[in-house]
Amino acid sequence: MRMTSALAAAAIIALTAACGGGGSGGDAQGSATSGGEPVKLNFLSLAWQKESVAANKQIVEEWNKANPGIQVTYVQGSWDNVNDQLVTQFEGGDPPDVIHNDSPALAGFASRGYLLDLKDKLPAELKSDIPQTAWDTVTFGQEGGVYGVPFLQESQVIIANKKLLDAAKVRIPTPDNPWTWDEFAEIARKLTKDGTYGVAWPMKSPVNKTLNLALNFGGTFFQTGPDGKTTVKVGPEEREVLQRIHDQIHKDKSADPKALGMGTADPLPGFYKGEYAMLPVGVYLRQQVAEQAPEDFEWVALPPLKGTSSNQGAVSQTLSIAQDSKHPDEAMKFISFFLNPANQAKLAKGDWLLPTSTKAASDPSLTTEDNGWDVATASAKNLVVAPFLKVNGYDEWKSKVATPALQEYFAGKISLDEVAKRLVEEGNKVLERY
Amino acid sequence: MTVTATRPPKAAHARSRPRSRQGRETLVLMLPALVPVLLFSVGPLVYGMALAFTDARAGRKVTYSFVGLENFANLFQDPDFWSSIVVGLIWAVSVTVLTFLLGLGLALLLNEKLRLRGLARVLAVVPWAMPPVVIGLMWRLVYHADAGILNGILGTDIDWLADFTFVLPAIIVMGVWAGMPQTTVVLLAGLQNIPAELYEAGKIDGAATWQRFRNITLPQLKPVIVAITSLDFVWNFNQFSLVYVLTNGGPGGRTRLPMLFAYEQAFRYGFFGYAASLGVAIMIVVLGLLGVYLWRQMREASS
Repeated sequence: MRMTSALAAAAIIALTAACGGGGSGGDAQGSATSGGEPVKLNFLSLAWQKESVAANKQIVEEWNKANPGIQVTYVQGSWDNVNDQLVTQFEGGDPPDVIHNDSPALAGFASRGYLLDLKDKLPAELKSDIPQTAWDTVTFGQEGGVYGVPFLQESQVIIANKKLLDAAKVRIPTPDNPWTWDEFAEIARKLTKDGTYGVAWPMKSPVNKTLNLALNFGGTFFQTGPDGKTTVKVGPEEREVLQRIHDQIHKDKSADPKALGMGTADPLPGFYKGEYAMLPVGVYLRQQVAEQAPEDFEWVALPPLKGTSSNQGAVSQTLSIAQDSKHPDEAMKFISFFLNPANQAKLAKGDWLLPTSTKAASDPSLTTEDNGWDVATASAKNLVVAPFLKVNGYDEWKSKVATPALQEYFAGKISLDEVAKRLVEEGNKVLERY
Repeated sequence: MTVTATRPPKAAHARSRPRSRQGRETLVLMLPALVPVLLFSVGPLVYGMALAFTDARAGRKVTYSFVGLENFANLFQDPDFWSSIVVGLIWAVSVTVLTFLLGLGLALLLNEKLRLRGLARVLAVVPWAMPPVVIGLMWRLVYHADAGILNGILGTDIDWLADFTFVLPAIIVMGVWAGMPQTTVVLLAGLQNIPAELYEAGKIDGAATWQRFRNITLPQLKPVIVAITSLDFVWNFNQFSLVYVLTNGGPGGRTRLPMLFAYEQAFRYGFFGYAASLGVAIMIVVLGLLGVYLWRQMREASS
């Protein structure tokens, strides 16, 4: 029985009745001919911060002006439902030509053949400007296909209340001499007094954060056997960070248990009021702190913690080209322009993230002490490929097994052994299907 | 069926030719209506059901094969499937029952001669005019942990939509709110069809208000009640958009209704065949429950 999956998708939509979500449908792509008509490209962008949307649109406009032969339409998407939307569009055979996404989503899409392998299309200039560690986040499969161009990276730093740190007379760490996890725990205990918690762990979505930090102690969570099958592993390395965060909440009581249900930005009001002294969060949160904090609030960005190393899992935002795109070469040209060092610096500033471009990273505005840019940019050197990026079925493992298990563990409802057992046993069952 | 219904009785004698000609005419007349139904409704439905017996999955130019009942076997062993059915039943039954009770109360009230009755009736229908996505967004603001109206009024500090205990009741309240208008309107229409003489007779016989309600209103309204509750039940069991917008099935799957589960399987994880088998299973559950309910109602009515 041979059927095309496009039809299958249509049938599922009918069978599961109402299919909500924001399928933008995508503009019907004009069939650009080789004649005088310009080639038309759709660019699905997920920029959402105001500055970043403006930067994106501005770059697209510059491109359109300079290249009358290749006209790009900016299509606004949203991180909330982009992957659902893309599946529908891919299956319908009408995906955007240039797709903004992040590296965790690419493994699945690449293995289903939705994305174009860019390995032989990348211009040398672009390829050499971005370090290999970043390229590793978008390289999948046996043939080592490259399924996107990584351009913005996120690292975890600690944003701290400077007055509280000064009052407690703690050592201010530098990128060359960061705090160790032990030091961090001790300082958190020291800062916990008079209604202030040393730290708040916003753990509404605990999985990526925990897995990225687990690399501090070499915890990878996944292993691939000689048969090529990937299984979950929770050994002593993986347990380090789990145990340490758990201890702060339940043993030291230096972390506020109320913060566990919060999303990344939710502890900010409490942080401004001095209820929490430190927030371990992604670098992009600096933007909100810089713009919303009260006038007299002093804050500082601290470099990532050190376990056996300061390594962190890197997740990058990416631009990919759809396999079904009719103009892949033009799309590649647009991407190389869009991600040239000058534009990357602009985009990084817009999103308060780190550029992958080495030239952009040396831009003076990204190395200034203002708003912790120096610390943030320096943390990029600790980024390594997160092992979970290569795991097919990671998304299902994350939402079905790991999220509830970690939430219950951090909330103190189950023990470390129980959470480890669930992650492994239930997890392997999920991975079996892929 | 329509063919037999429109066939004049005398055609029974002169069998073959006139009947087939008439049948053809009827068919031609029905065609414009039938084509879209077959094309857009029956076709995909049958195709979807066929998919349930394959290992279809997302992918570009993927081919897939017949796997028999494997999907269903997996489904019955999938604890997530059963928990979504349980969540779906709790949700559908509570929303349907509560909607019915409140809708009946409101309909009785609006059936009385009140001042500004017209305005009140219009207001009661307003939620009906709202798209589910807007309703979901609106209730998200009501339940918002920091800026929500509900926490403001109650003076509590609960993240309603992230709390394992409160989230299901919270979405049920929204479901009732969203479902009230149609139930109320239908019941009100039913109430207005009850002849006033019955009440007059009841009054003369000395029946109190409660007795009149029990012995006149309820029996007279029964066909309407059966119809609207069964429709509501099916509608609620298959609900998607409201809950998708409000909680997306979270936290930890506590509000993962069957349709959300199917959607996740198909569009997040790409298992189209499995999702289709889910659709079929859900259809069987709904038809089964509904069959039992309607059969009991009919039997009661005829006895």
